[in-house]
Amino acid sequence: MLSVKELEKAALEIRINLLRLCNREVIHIGGDLSITDVMTVLWLNQMHYNPQDIHEEARDRFILSKGHASAVTSFCQAALGCFSPEDVINEYATDQGRFSMHSCNLVNPYVEVSTGSLGHGMPVACGIAAGLRLKGNHTSRVYTVMGDGEQSEGSIWEAAANAVHCKLGNLVAIVDFNGLEADGTINEITGLGNIADKYRVFGWNVIEIDGNDVEQIVKAFGALPDPQTDVPTCVVAHTVKGKGVDFMEGQVRWHAGKISDEQLSACIDSLQSTYERRWSA
Amino acid sequence: MSKSFLRNVIGEYMPTLGDMDEKVVIVNADLAGTCRNRGFVEKYPERAFNMGIAEQNMVSFAAGLACEGFIPYAFSMAPFLTMRACEQCRTDIAYGNRNVRLIGVYAGVSGGISGVTHWALEDIGIMTSIPGVAVFEVCDANQAKRLLDYSLDYKGPMYIRSSVEPTEDIYSEDIDVTVGGSITVKQGNDGAVLCSGVVVQYAIEASQMIERETGKHIRVVDLYSIKPIDRDAVIDAARTGHVMVAQDHNVAGGLGSTVGTILAEEGLGVKFKAVGVPDQFVAMAHAPYLYKKFGLDANGLAEAIKNLY
Repeated sequence: MLSVKELEKAALEIRINLLRLCNREVIHIGGDLSITDVMTVLWLNQMHYNPQDIHEEARDRFILSKGHASAVTSFCQAALGCFSPEDVINEYATDQGRFSMHSCNLVNPYVEVSTGSLGHGMPVACGIAAGLRLKGNHTSRVYTVMGDGEQSEGSIWEAAANAVHCKLGNLVAIVDFNGLEADGTINEITGLGNIADKYRVFGWNVIEIDGNDVEQIVKAFGALPDPQTDVPTCVVAHTVKGKGVDFMEGQVRWHAGKISDEQLSACIDSLQSTYERRWSA
Repeated sequence: MSKSFLRNVIGEYMPTLGDMDEKVVIVNADLAGTCRNRGFVEKYPERAFNMGIAEQNMVSFAAGLACEGFIPYAFSMAPFLTMRACEQCRTDIAYGNRNVRLIGVYAGVSGGISGVTHWALEDIGIMTSIPGVAVFEVCDANQAKRLLDYSLDYKGPMYIRSSVEPTEDIYSEDIDVTVGGSITVKQGNDGAVLCSGVVVQYAIEASQMIERETGKHIRVVDLYSIKPIDRDAVIDAARTGHVMVAQDHNVAGGLGSTVGTILAEEGLGVKFKAVGVPDQFVAMAHAPYLYKKFGLDANGLAEAIKNLY
């Protein structure tokens, strides 16, 4: 288990890698940055996942339902040693690369399920969770990360209702509630309202956290119910889209984009000094 | 000849399939009764999942079960399976090359008086255009059972459509069924009908009628493996000089399109006709009435064959 400081350091490095990539290619930087802290804790601290044995039965399964957060997923896996961050940066969006806008299992075996189109990962995760139960694997969990805009997909709610009915206590669905979708704010576009309440009404165990507060994330994951229990858990992570980069934070236009060399060095300086100020005290 | 209801045959064979392999699981979307899955549900309740009326979730859920090594059989009416859950079939099942068996009942207009919403006029076009899906249509009880046996060991996704109209029992119990296969049901070198599913029995009857009337021997080929298709059987049929394709499906995008492409690619100049459901919506009616109306019954097929000459 890593300390909060170590996890924040890892999250810092992942953010820097994301921005370095964003300097070369258009990526979904806003939604990558909002979920970086949750993903860092998940991959480096929480999930049982051995890069040397990726088909190990006892592994936890990870399904990226918001498939456009492929870059942050790849950098988390790089931090685990699946490949190097430079591999991700060099191969991203190249014609024979393993990494691109969305995760693809055809070229990247560390991708459990290929995703991209929204509203698919969560229902597949439910099937996986049921499959684990059926074959007697009572220790692995299935983690799926969804977007908040993605909650508009009807298939999410088909799955949300059924996951409770199937008693999938080994399922942990995380909502990156950054409040923005491609066309505007969640409130303007879809009026989804209180997502946490919706999952509560559907019968889920709901945990609401500040999804950019590593300490809260560690605590929430540490308090997950045993995977053998019967109620699925939804972690509603209140986040800031573009978190850590002042000109991106809360800005719709940074759903996806590319940054200049000058922006990159300013961003890195700002992120590093924020981290140092926090931990020098 | 006796007749069978393929929906019953398939659904009621599932407990046997479940006995043969413990990886067999069933997913339903509130049509377990309609799809005759109650026997499996009662015998193996822990291996049967009913998702309620939620076909998208059903197909994705099946993909997830396949991720964990199971062989899920996802049952529904063909239009709901292939259209409501089309993207799930494509992205979650086919893209991931999952061992899911999509079992679509109510093929073509066999849903009859239920009307257009319950007909599958497009499923072959949809499913054959998804990479990596093996697409089948069964016409007979033994063929259906042997295909289900075959599905236990086949690697990759399968789509199997079947009619709810009764079908003649054509094949023996030891009929050989394989991906890319076909069966010449009736020999003949004066012309050929290439067909699948419920139409096969009508094509046999039509061939017999023509034989009596004109002395011409019309071959009938059951192209039950629609994708991959038995290309050699198509080429061989073309050597008769007269080829007709007949299927309970929209003429656009069905077996006729596939066979026509092969004939053109091979440069085989033959008299050719594709018979199917015309490219328009029509109101509900009983299937036999519709088959007559569309020229898919024995008389209609015989007439269309004669018109090739």
